[in-house]
Amino acid sequence: MRQKPRYVEASRCTACGACAEKCPTKVPNEFNFGLDEHKAIYKDYAQGIPSVYTIDPTHCRIFQGKKCGVCAKTCQAKAIDYEQKEKFVDLNVAAVIISTGYELFDATRISEYGYGRLPNVISALEMERLLSAGGPTKGHLTRPSTIRAEARVRELAKRIKKAETDQDMENLGRFQAELKWLEAQIHKHHTATKLGFIQCVGSRDFRFHKYCSSFCCMHSIKEAIIAKEHEPQTESYIFYMDLRTVGKGFEEYKVRGEKVSGLKYVRGRVAEILEDDEHNPIVYYEDTEERRVKSMTLDMVILATACSAPKGVNPLAEMLGVELDENNFIKTHPNRPLDTSVPGIFSCGCAQGPLDIPESVAQASSAAARAAEVVMTGGLALAM
Amino acid sequence: MTISEIVNRTQAYYCLDCGICTGSCPVSRVTQDFSPRLMVEKVLIEEAENPYDDVNIWSCLSCGQCSARCPSKIDYPEFVRQVRKAAVTEGHSGVPAHRGLFQGVMRLQTLDVKQNKTDWAREAGKIAESGDTYYFVGCAPYFDVEFREDWAIDVMEGPRGVLKALNAIGIEPVVHDDERCCGHDLMWNGDYENFAKLARLNVDLIKSLGCKRVVFQCPEGYQTFKKYYPEVIGEVDFEVVHFYELLAKEFERGRFGFEPLDGVYTFHDPCRLGRQAGIMDAPRALLQGVPGLKLIEMEHNRENGICCGTSAWMSCSSCSKEIQKSRLREAIASGAGHLVTACSKCRLHLNCALRDVEMDLKIVDLNDLLARSLKV
Ligand SMILES: Cc1cc2nc3c(=O)[nH]c(=O)nc-3n(C[C@H](O)[C@H](O)[C@H](O)COP(=O)(O)OP(=O)(O)OC[C@H]3O[C@@H](n4cnc5c(N)ncnc54)[C@H](O)[C@@H]3O)c2cc1C
Ligand code: SF4
Ligand code: SF4
Ligand code: SF4
Ligand code: SF4
Repeated sequence: MRQKPRYVEASRCTACGACAEKCPTKVPNEFNFGLDEHKAIYKDYAQGIPSVYTIDPTHCRIFQGKKCGVCAKTCQAKAIDYEQKEKFVDLNVAAVIISTGYELFDATRISEYGYGRLPNVISALEMERLLSAGGPTKGHLTRPSTIRAEARVRELAKRIKKAETDQDMENLGRFQAELKWLEAQIHKHHTATKLGFIQCVGSRDFRFHKYCSSFCCMHSIKEAIIAKEHEPQTESYIFYMDLRTVGKGFEEYKVRGEKVSGLKYVRGRVAEILEDDEHNPIVYYEDTEERRVKSMTLDMVILATACSAPKGVNPLAEMLGVELDENNFIKTHPNRPLDTSVPGIFSCGCAQGPLDIPESVAQASSAAARAAEVVMTGGLALAM
Repeated sequence: MTISEIVNRTQAYYCLDCGICTGSCPVSRVTQDFSPRLMVEKVLIEEAENPYDDVNIWSCLSCGQCSARCPSKIDYPEFVRQVRKAAVTEGHSGVPAHRGLFQGVMRLQTLDVKQNKTDWAREAGKIAESGDTYYFVGCAPYFDVEFREDWAIDVMEGPRGVLKALNAIGIEPVVHDDERCCGHDLMWNGDYENFAKLARLNVDLIKSLGCKRVVFQCPEGYQTFKKYYPEVIGEVDFEVVHFYELLAKEFERGRFGFEPLDGVYTFHDPCRLGRQAGIMDAPRALLQGVPGLKLIEMEHNRENGICCGTSAWMSCSSCSKEIQKSRLREAIASGAGHLVTACSKCRLHLNCALRDVEMDLKIVDLNDLLARSLKV
């Protein structure tokens, strides 16, 4: 097993956060899809375990050969260790559980949806971060184009100052005009209140994944309900082919979404997304119930991106000798759903296919029990 | 083919009734009665009516936008092609544009006619009587007869440009008087009998000349030879190459350069060349190779490019005009002063709409542009 260095001694760090407060280096926050920044010594989110800070060596000044060492000076627990090295741990095990989960489908592959090109077209996972109290906007639905505009406004303020001192009139006028436009845009379109959720993005699509990702209908309804709780004037449209609300209480949740939270379910898979000159996404679709081609201008579009097998699964499967199925998920036995093609190696959760949290947790417990059987019987359980 | 055979061949039974096709279709966006989804659905649920009677089967542009996005990968243009073929045998037909002139010319070419299809080439550059490379010119010379006087468009700029560029990279291709229309339009009109005759005549000609590869600029000819000739002829024993791919390769090797050209240009992907044949990089690489030329994209580009509004000289309507005008508006909105086309029909169709509107836009032929600024 390879353990990458954190440059922080896990047994000493108390996760007090003093280091990050003092660290002078800002880095785009990958966990929040670059919508905000964290320091070069950081922790993805407060609840993450083990609760230990980590240094990002690609940004930390020390690793760039510059002078710093601020975190080491600040840390009272003496946990910082710039010399820490990658560790290889040899474990002798009787059973293995593969629970490497999933990866989001890369929506840039559907060019007609403009993901990655149109700022206010985001993935459902980005929406999770926007809605989260610990996210980049502390749970406020600020439009990504506004977040970018605010960053640009800060940059323009600096440039304007410089142009003023340099008496660079030509650029000054340009910057001021841009600043004025951006400020008006920020004021006009600050919060996203008209939302479109697009279902089956990369799922149930022969071009990509034929299977249904099973949890996206539910998380779109959930996100739309939470958005409404955060901002009562939010209007949400869910563009679907059929809403798959299979599970305990799920159908009731869908109905509640419509009746209590006012969600509108529109039957029709969206054909393409364009935008107007204020970055408002425009969706084109056929309302299949009315048999009419329509367009709708929205503040933000959320793509229910498919649950894909992680790219790194192939070398892992090769190493362990387990078979994958036609969708690159871990192949499991039809009658013993946690067993892989290799005795003693089990799999649970999204590693073996799309599952929601309760199902993943239930499988995890079962996989642990299966592994325990093998360990406790000295391998005898494998023969049964 | 019966309708259920057509359904099986195109796997239309996979339809999810999702609406992406209709939502994507340029015709449906203008004409709400036209819906590829409903056409497929009607056949699947066997609604009493005969699909061959449906006038809408003639309105499809076979642009392939719907099938490129269909999550069930249903080849809708193929569905339409087969339905038209069957409808024609039952005595139906679409409405030809330009008084049926072109269909007339195409059918005439199935006979033993004597054509002059090489004089222009001898004036424009060097051609050979025999050799490895055949340049399939296509129908531009016939279009030229119809449009040069009335619309003041020199359609032959295209073929002349191709020939000059081929000569510049050291190719003196065979061009022949006995070449026939490739049959693309008659095939899409549902007239298989004559399509097959034309295909046979062309393949026999090229075989008799002993050519090893055939170079096409016309996107329709290229696709027809590559995709549909094997259906009536079997595999052909010569290579089918596209001019832009050939030219871009030579350009990359540094075989030639371009004189500078100023201005902002945008490129209109012909459906057959872009979405269908997948040739989208080569024309752009060539345009970007011209120093000073600024290439920008329209809102719909590459695989999302919009059709020029009419296909196979059929069903030209107010809907076609609307599609064409919205394409021109996109070009203007992109900030381009020149719209570059790579298909003589796209060029004509877009020009037809440009005659009706006041727009500061020039439509130029890619081959002409390249040949003019090319320097060895
Ligand atoms: C936008 C969105 C919202 C959702 N909302 C809900 C919801 O509200 N309720 C619900 O029930 N479900 C929800 N889900 C589904 C939920 O995300 C999954 O059910 C759950 O994450 C599956 O858990 P897992 O542990 O199997 O996989 P994952 O959560 O993917 O965890 C796998 C872990 O393994 C790690 N890993 C992978 N490879 C290796 C390796 N080689 N070595 C070490 N570690 C590795 C990964 O980094 C990852 O941390 C949502 C999904 C999405 C996309
Ligand atoms: S490294 Fe030190 S300062 Fe930073 S969180 Fe851990 S204990 Fe606190
Ligand atoms: S769960 Fe819903 S959105 Fe997700 S793939 Fe299945 S049907 Fe589509
Ligand atoms: S896009 Fe494909 S699956 Fe969807 S309605 Fe059209 S033909 Fe059917
Ligand atoms: S091929 Fe083009 S015109 Fe025909 S139905 Fe599909 S999108 Fe519409």
